[in-house]
Amino acid sequence: MKMKKFINNPENLTSEALDGLAAANRDIVYRGEDNMIVNRALERADRVTIVTQGGSGHEPALSGFVGEGMVDISVVGDVFAAPGPQACVNAIKLADKGKGVLYIVLNHAGDMLTGNLTMKQCKKLGLHVVKVVTQEDVSNAPRENADDRRGLVGCIPAYKIAGAAAAEGRSLEDVAAVTQRFADNMATLAVAVRGATHPVTGAALADLGEEDMEIGMGQHGEGGGGRQPMKSADETAEIMVNALVKDIGIQPGEKVMLIINGSGATTLMEQLIIYRRCEEILKEQNIEIVANYVGELLTVQEQAGFQMFMARMDDELLRLWNAPCHTPYLTKI
Amino acid sequence: MVLDSKAVAAMLLGAAERLEENADRLSEIDSRFGDGDHGITMCKIARLIKEQIPQWGERSVRTFLDDLGMAVMEVKGGSAGPLYGALIGGLGVKLAEDENTPDAVRRMFAGALEELEDLTTAKVGDKTMMDALVPAVEAAQQADGDAAAVLAAAAEAAEAGAKASEGFVAKFGRARSYKEQTIGTPDAGAVSTALFIRGMALGFTKQ
Repeated sequence: MKMKKFINNPENLTSEALDGLAAANRDIVYRGEDNMIVNRALERADRVTIVTQGGSGHEPALSGFVGEGMVDISVVGDVFAAPGPQACVNAIKLADKGKGVLYIVLNHAGDMLTGNLTMKQCKKLGLHVVKVVTQEDVSNAPRENADDRRGLVGCIPAYKIAGAAAAEGRSLEDVAAVTQRFADNMATLAVAVRGATHPVTGAALADLGEEDMEIGMGQHGEGGGGRQPMKSADETAEIMVNALVKDIGIQPGEKVMLIINGSGATTLMEQLIIYRRCEEILKEQNIEIVANYVGELLTVQEQAGFQMFMARMDDELLRLWNAPCHTPYLTKI
Repeated sequence: MVLDSKAVAAMLLGAAERLEENADRLSEIDSRFGDGDHGITMCKIARLIKEQIPQWGERSVRTFLDDLGMAVMEVKGGSAGPLYGALIGGLGVKLAEDENTPDAVRRMFAGALEELEDLTTAKVGDKTMMDALVPAVEAAQQADGDAAAVLAAAAEAAEAGAKASEGFVAKFGRARSYKEQTIGTPDAGAVSTALFIRGMALGFTKQ
């Protein structure tokens, strides 16, 4: 199948994209060995540092959030594929400034394997590392069964919380605890209306036909079981926002973060329409959005659809979310 | 016959050959519910094995397997790199530095299983490599006779296990979202594991 994508040799996709990211953000990051994107300010950091890993193909995630106040090193695999553990161990060694390293892993089979192997090796080497796993997809398992929940866009705000806590000079145990608390109180639901094309193989990642949408679609076109006829923005927003409130158990009077994350081919116009309706619904339930983001953080190539993310917020989490950060795709002053 | 570096090298080369011969079949199986690249990935692993063996040097069997396992973990192409890296490294973990007995083969398999169980909760019936590896390890423990007989018993059990994976519903990886549709297709990882173990047996007897 011929792909209408601006690419060169498919084998070099990841490498060329990382070169581009580093070139476009020379003041913030550089490209290290083993497909690493490294925070330029890491060298003089005297604090807990943050390392993450994951496949490419989800730009700006994950490497677009490397920089002060978020991630110090992101280790990149191939398209939609985890990197190997040796690269992650190398990244953790490079990142460690004597205060320990928080290692954030998204719950996907390959990433978890690499995560476990990396931790095993770090233990052998006596490195001070704590792993936090983001697993917040409400569609594929109930909350009690969190180990089966996929990691979706929630890793991005989790990086922000972790990076801000580290910047406050807190201990590794403290940084891990607050990141884990945020992660335990978050949920994401994805909807797709048109699948993407795998940029290497040209294979269709999902086939949704002309009439259908699927609530619960995974990050690589994995089915989620919620296939149904296409609905309006307001109807879709209502189904999804209510599912998230219910899953986290948000009560009237509570405060939340809400993110509408475009999957790649859904316009910002649509995302804003969705957000507007979510805010109305939450207001009716006396739930206040104290933090938000509308736009693309973690995409699935040109998949059309979005991920809706919600997290329970308190004063500490809000302070960390609002703290300064400087990365290629998220800056707060 | 004893389990020295020459015997282990022969086993690994046998496994590499068997994987290369069957690469297209592995990719074809994987294309039904996966990325369709399992054969390509296993070929990369096979190539790495063939590159590393001539550089064995003075290393003990255990150290060589550990080094090879770490190198295989870095092979790109999904979970196969880390999983086969753990399996290969695991083949050495229960061996003493200079192992020289036929019973070592049984411990090689037991070590490989232990390393994988450290990494995953997958059990027999979940449509993964475990469908082939677990019965192979059990068969190896129960088999009488010399190293060749133990290897042959393991290979046979692994093949039967890979065949049985056709009847299971996928519980791991990308195939998981296809649920009952996966019945009737074997697990690509179970098939490659059976090929790997049969290759080890063939390599050992051929040396």
